[in-house]
Amino acid sequence: MSRPERLIDENGRRVDGRRADELRPIRMEVGVLDKSDGSAYVEFGGTKVIAAVFGPREAHPRHLALPDRAILNCRYHMTSFSVEERKPLGMTRREIELSKVIREALETVAFLEEFPRAAIDVYVEVVQADGGTRTAGLTAASLALADAGIPMADLIAGVAVGKVDGQLVLDLCDLEDKYGEADMPVAMAPRFNSIVMLQLNGRMTVEEFKRGLALAKKGIDEIYRLQREALKKKFSKISPEEV
Amino acid sequence: MPIYFTEHEIVVPGQLLSDNGKRSGEGTYTHGGKIYAARIGFASIRDNKVVVTPFKAAYKPAPGDWVVGIVSDVKPNGFEIDLGRHLKGTIRIPDREEVISTGLNVGDVVYVRIKESGLSGVVIDKRSRIRRIESGILIQIHPAKIPRLIGRRGSMINLIKRLTGCEIIVGKNGFIVINGPSPEAEFAAVKAVKMIEEEAHISGLTERVEKLLRELVGGAGAPSS
Amino acid sequence: MALAPKKDLTAKIMRSKIYSLLLQDKRIDGRKPTDLRPIKIETGLLSKAEGSALVSMGSTKILTGIKVEVGVPFPDRPDEGTFTVNAELLPLASASFEPGPPDERGIELARVVDRSLREGRVLDLKKLCLIEGEKVYVLFIDIYVLDYDGNYFDPSLISALAALATAKLPRYDVVDGKLQKTGEYFTPEIRSLPFTVMVGVIGEKFLLDPQLEEEKVLDVSLVMGADEKGNITCVQKNSPGQVPLELMDSIVDIVIEKTGEIRRKFLQEVPVKLAESP
Repeated sequence: MSRPERLIDENGRRVDGRRADELRPIRMEVGVLDKSDGSAYVEFGGTKVIAAVFGPREAHPRHLALPDRAILNCRYHMTSFSVEERKPLGMTRREIELSKVIREALETVAFLEEFPRAAIDVYVEVVQADGGTRTAGLTAASLALADAGIPMADLIAGVAVGKVDGQLVLDLCDLEDKYGEADMPVAMAPRFNSIVMLQLNGRMTVEEFKRGLALAKKGIDEIYRLQREALKKKFSKISPEEV
Repeated sequence: MPIYFTEHEIVVPGQLLSDNGKRSGEGTYTHGGKIYAARIGFASIRDNKVVVTPFKAAYKPAPGDWVVGIVSDVKPNGFEIDLGRHLKGTIRIPDREEVISTGLNVGDVVYVRIKESGLSGVVIDKRSRIRRIESGILIQIHPAKIPRLIGRRGSMINLIKRLTGCEIIVGKNGFIVINGPSPEAEFAAVKAVKMIEEEAHISGLTERVEKLLRELVGGAGAPSS
Repeated sequence: MALAPKKDLTAKIMRSKIYSLLLQDKRIDGRKPTDLRPIKIETGLLSKAEGSALVSMGSTKILTGIKVEVGVPFPDRPDEGTFTVNAELLPLASASFEPGPPDERGIELARVVDRSLREGRVLDLKKLCLIEGEKVYVLFIDIYVLDYDGNYFDPSLISALAALATAKLPRYDVVDGKLQKTGEYFTPEIRSLPFTVMVGVIGEKFLLDPQLEEEKVLDVSLVMGADEKGNITCVQKNSPGQVPLELMDSIVDIVIEKTGEIRRKFLQEVPVKLAESP
């Protein structure tokens, strides 16, 4: 994959034809796996992730269990064929870092005190990476948690914003991530209007940073709407008469 | 009180339900004096409280619950019982000889009653008989679906028992053991239980279960009473 | 040392139930002892992998992707391309799979699939040579178990074959001893389609393609495979326990029959024409 001459053309269109503030086509499906307690598939354009949740279940090893709440474990992992150059097996430093920031985001909304001594395990598997995998992964993980019946204060929606050819753009694809000037993954708990994940790779001016956050918020509101729709869709066959 | 949902609307975590934080019930939480949904489920008002009846929820043991478990460990002072996922129950028997005399071993399936559940874990009531289940198909369904499986005053479970002739032991933790007069009858009962798990909230469930069972066993599982 | 993974707790009554049903030629999910679960095959779902397939057998789901690189041949086979198979039992597939490097089960799965492909002579490795002794195609066949409801062997091999049969390898021209991408792609020739069937033994009875509840109570299990010519291409006794010798004749016969059934299904779902084998 080589750098295109321009990442944004004279009409303001990006490499995949989008406008600066446009999301890629998004697909979400809840409950895609049988053997986990909750699961979700999320697609942002070419980025495809699956998340699954197990728990609450017994904490292993037992000495890690907390007397007053559940521990939340998270693993973000990419399949070897999810990227252009085959990723070697095993966890990279990047995957370990992203596992941590995803876990810390989920901890802000899950009511862990409901399950003393237990563990809740969240697994995010990136099947194909085309930019924004951690935010898509977090978006899927929060759906999987809700699907597992874990009580939560809110869903979490995330998207990356970035700077490409000097312009702020929403929902970076791989090319823009690689050859752009900045990549800033943002995730929020929209109900509380608060940030639950925030990282920056690259440089921005203060003014760009502020506008970037606002742009992320705009995308997140749309993603959040799609999440609620996807969750309700899974259970939509249901009618309340016999509850 | 101002509410922001229609009765029995499907709600998702974070959804605003009411401005009156004082009326927050099961499946909800309050923030800034307002009520929000904490789970995915149906929102409704029950006993003047806003509640969310979850589609899925982990089993929370309560004293008096009858549960089905698998013996997972034998210790000098009793047994450890696997109650599914994250729950272990303990049967405390102070006397080692008595532990041996029960004849229980790892892998045995038991039907027991919970005495207490708290900081010291789940303790099994010894005064109620500890019943070892000798045979049957053990299946697991989502604990949140158990009330629906039992039905009003046992109507649903009795329907399955009557049409298939099976004996069905239901643990509140979601473990179920089915024993029937024939493999076909057991298979039909398993299918009916799975149908209830998957379609618990779709209306007309009783009729569908009955139709399924009549197709599978022709209602001839048991001699009519 | 290969550490034995922690064994799942199983209810003793399930073994007696599954066995007593088997005595009546029945199973807990309504299948006959020799019935396989429904197989679903989807290919070409991913664009960054040169080949990909998602295969389900009942609720067991496997995703396989193939990455292609140009590398150096083995010194003793200077005119042949190479392939390696890896398998991971992802923790999202089952409460009993732990995160971490592949344990002995994952490695066994990879090697069983690898041997099936190799001994089945699926690929003509000579056609994957670019410059003899210097440059050859290197195929990485990576298998991920996504959802585990027993028997990950058979669907893993199906998905590896489906990914291979639909893979798109970049074509190169050799110009002055150097490789140049032509921008064109080709699908590797498939010469043979060996499949496996997992056989579970309880007492003196056996069943095929165990689902998880059955797999947990088996006395012993075997993975056996055959190609379209009736050659046995894979055998692996893959659990502790002893296989009664007198069962083997009927097991071999049923494996030949059932791998044929899988092959017919495969040929319906995957666009592949078998090349002449040497």
